[in-house]
Amino acid sequence: METVGRILLVEDDPKDTELTMTALEEYNLSNEVVVASDGEEALDYLYYRGKFQRRSGDNPAVMLLDLKLPKIDGLEVLQQVKADDKLKMIPVVVLTSSREERDMVSSYRLGVNAYVVKPVDFHEFVNAIKELGVFWAIINEPPPGSMRKK
Amino acid sequence: MARGKTFSAKIPLELQRYGLAVSSVAIAFGISLFLYNNKFEGVEFPLFLVAVAVTVWYAGVGPAILALLLSSLTFNYYFTEPRYSFYVNRSDLPYYVVFVLFALLITWFAAIRRRVERNLVESRDELQREVAIRTQQANLLNLTHDTIFVRDMNDVITYWNRGAQELYGWTAEEAIGNRSHDLLKTIFPAPADERVHDRVEAIRTEFLRMGRWDGELRQTKADGTEVVVSSRWSLQRDERGNPIAVLETNNDVTERKRREDEIRGLNQQLARRSTELEGTNKELEAFAYSISHDLRAPLRHMVGYTELLQKHAAPTTDDKGRRYMLTILDAAKRMGTLIDDLLAFSRIGRAETRETMVSLDQLVKEVQSELMHDTEGRNLIWKVGTLPDLYGDRSMLKLVLVNLVSNAVKFTRTRSSPEIEIGSNEVKSDGVVVFVRDNGVGFDMKYVNKLFGVFQRLHRVDEFEGTGIGLATVQRIIHRHGGRVWAEGHVGSGATFYLSLPKP
Repeated sequence: METVGRILLVEDDPKDTELTMTALEEYNLSNEVVVASDGEEALDYLYYRGKFQRRSGDNPAVMLLDLKLPKIDGLEVLQQVKADDKLKMIPVVVLTSSREERDMVSSYRLGVNAYVVKPVDFHEFVNAIKELGVFWAIINEPPPGSMRKK
Repeated sequence: MARGKTFSAKIPLELQRYGLAVSSVAIAFGISLFLYNNKFEGVEFPLFLVAVAVTVWYAGVGPAILALLLSSLTFNYYFTEPRYSFYVNRSDLPYYVVFVLFALLITWFAAIRRRVERNLVESRDELQREVAIRTQQANLLNLTHDTIFVRDMNDVITYWNRGAQELYGWTAEEAIGNRSHDLLKTIFPAPADERVHDRVEAIRTEFLRMGRWDGELRQTKADGTEVVVSSRWSLQRDERGNPIAVLETNNDVTERKRREDEIRGLNQQLARRSTELEGTNKELEAFAYSISHDLRAPLRHMVGYTELLQKHAAPTTDDKGRRYMLTILDAAKRMGTLIDDLLAFSRIGRAETRETMVSLDQLVKEVQSELMHDTEGRNLIWKVGTLPDLYGDRSMLKLVLVNLVSNAVKFTRTRSSPEIEIGSNEVKSDGVVVFVRDNGVGFDMKYVNKLFGVFQRLHRVDEFEGTGIGLATVQRIIHRHGGRVWAEGHVGSGATFYLSLPKP
């Protein structure tokens, strides 16, 4: 079987999380998904803090990041990740409702690897998530030191 | 000499002077001889002295020496023993010496006096010339309407022209002798350097150093009203370089100042308004941002879960149930389109335009190919004329064309031989006019005013789909480009939409 990279999904809305997981399930990618429900938890995961203090393994193969998040918002998480030498190699995909140009510009300025607007249409949404999952967790060779499962 | 000329210009001046010497000695000799013969002795000596004195007084030193010589000889020849000879007794010698010394003394005094007199006359003449020039200058200064006055180094006014009288209301007689800054209650401008405490002293120091100063002063007129003047000072120095007077020229700028203040006030008001507007704009932007984020998420969930429900409950759902779910999906998608269109519409007002020359021909081709899947399979006839280049924001102009052409495609759907014409003509007053004409369902001209409003629709959704934002977007874009839009139509026989753009 192919190797599957770990996906860190940063999403505060449980409905969005469920829809995303449903889409990923179709490709058997959901087992390797870790969900962080706000920016703080995402950083806790990356820095082995809080409830992720004892987690095992390396960096995720990809981080799917929502922008509007409680506590620490997506752009701030992105900024911290890209400013940290140990984390900056993690591919980050912004996955957001907004098509606002300034969000897009700020994200790319901070070094985001991809920017995806969640489509309203469910089929398009499922396709987008599937393609993202397949590309980043399977096709893409993640940087050294990422979690992969045979 | 001036006096010589008055009594005879013909006799040479030298001859007149020496003639006076000879004649005064002759007269003294005549009187002495007459008195001597009448037994009055001892008068001849002072008489000759008088002759010498008169000569030196009126004719100068040279003739006086001649008179002295002649007097001595005459005196010796006629009045001393032995008479009628030039022989001089030893005992008489001191007599002559005293006479000569005395005469020389008189001559010397007279010469000094003459020199002093000449100097006095010269300086008087000079003074008169000076006064004449000054008077003329003063008269000239009085001719100008500028306010000019002179003050000495103690600020006391010494000259006051007519312009000053007109501006301040005091006559020269009233003003001269007053200290100018007291009379005018002058208020000096605040110094640029805040560390300077005594602004008057600072100005005075600078003025003495540079020899000139200009600035704006507030002063008070005789009637108590305040006046703002643009003031220029020039320093006058004497020949040793000591400052002696200040020439102050003032121009009344009260009215100009008032207008400047008014303009400044208006500008401040404008700045305030624009800050307010900016604030409103920011609020709007935040509003749009929040719509973009928060309004789409629930929609996505509605669609997503309905789809999941469709799949999950398919075996147990009847036709009615399936139709309900489809309706929910339709409604949610329509809401999504509305939000997207509305956001795009609001973005037009906020986005910056990047204006370039845009080929309308090229734009039409792009739009046609984008609408391909709506037009495929229909025998749509395109009539595209020669199209000009437009000056504007390419993506915005394209959005205009997409909206107009897709409307034309949409509203000709019910026609068996649909036709869409795109053309342009140039009108002098309007610049370039572009039109999109179709032979579709058209509209009633009495609703023409509603066409370009947001959410205004002239058809039911089940007839023709749409959000009612397309033409509002068109109008907004064209207005931002400084042009205008209008339309013509008839129910059942098509519509024409026009837009005009100013030439660059």
